Amino acid sequence: MEGALATRLVAGLKQAGIDLVTYLPETRLSQILPLLRNDPSFTLLPVASESEAVTIGAGAALTGKQVAIYMECTGLYVSCYTLVSIARRYGVPLLLVVAYLGSMNDQRNNAVYAVSGTYVEPLLDALQIKTQILVNGDRLEDDIQDAVRHMHALKLPVALVFTGDFTR
Amino acid sequence: MIRYDCLKLLAPRITDELVVTSLSGQKIEWANLSQHHGNLLVGTMGTALGVGMGVAIGLPNRRVIVIESDGSVLLSLFNLPTLANLNPQNLIVLVFDNQVYSGTRISEPTATAGKTDLAMMARGAGIEQATTVRDLDGFQKELDDAVAKNQLRFIVCKVEESVTHREILRTDLDPIENKYQFVRYLERTEGRAIFRGRG
Repeated sequence: MEGALATRLVAGLKQAGIDLVTYLPETRLSQILPLLRNDPSFTLLPVASESEAVTIGAGAALTGKQVAIYMECTGLYVSCYTLVSIARRYGVPLLLVVAYLGSMNDQRNNAVYAVSGTYVEPLLDALQIKTQILVNGDRLEDDIQDAVRHMHALKLPVALVFTGDFTR
Repeated sequence: MIRYDCLKLLAPRITDELVVTSLSGQKIEWANLSQHHGNLLVGTMGTALGVGMGVAIGLPNRRVIVIESDGSVLLSLFNLPTLANLNPQNLIVLVFDNQVYSGTRISEPTATAGKTDLAMMARGAGIEQATTVRDLDGFQKELDDAVAKNQLRFIVCKVEESVTHREILRTDLDPIENKYQFVRYLERTEGRAIFRGRG
């Protein structure tokens, strides 16, 4: 992802009130990590599994933190159980920031990711997680604001799924 | 040592601590002993420790106690290195290790009935204060010490398999109701809103 887009993404999260991010690193959106790390308005929590990115994020959200969970799309497979058993069952507002590897718009798509990418959208549907797929930065800040407003209205996780220009 | 006896020692000590429980016996027995609004009865396997970590990080000014089980911790072992490195000083983790998967009807051995030592695994993950207690007196001493100090503690409590949770009244608190009870309690005691968005 271009540096300018990463800067806008992080600024958009901040503007929307996000103040805590749990994450397992991946490549496509990784330019956001040093920006998050160097901004004292974010608490950045590295985890060993996307499953606990959800549980830790949910616990923090129940104390009033505004939580984003940053993961590769394969992390959705890993975190299905905690998304259902904690985030959805309790009704916890969480913003999923998902790098959509293996999508048709993934600019670095390859044989490793293409099959994994196939199941991302049906899985989010099955989990009943409201989702916005972004292929460019035209409405980036607005999409983040809309998603955060929606997660608070629903008291549930919502997903922003990044592909296209975000995967260059 | 019986888990319910340990929990009976813990319950009267709770003032403004927040207690996050794992599933089955941990949840049922704790809810029977304590109806404190700072209880979060998570009640699913492999999730309480993560949620408790999040609560502890979100509220570093509050003591958080997680009541876990051997089967539940074994399902989410990735929590151990994360807990070690986040190192929340306000978190006490009590792992009631009865060496069985003991739901409402089953009794099947966990790995700790074999060669696995959870306290040793926790120390290997980097949790410095990870200990094992095997009797009620040891539990009381370790609990006293943990409450007196402000540091991350991981206490494996070796207990006998018991069926108390199958015999006592089971809470009917719904997860959503429990969430709002917990959140409203935090709002009252912390003096600020937790959830955003219009009602």
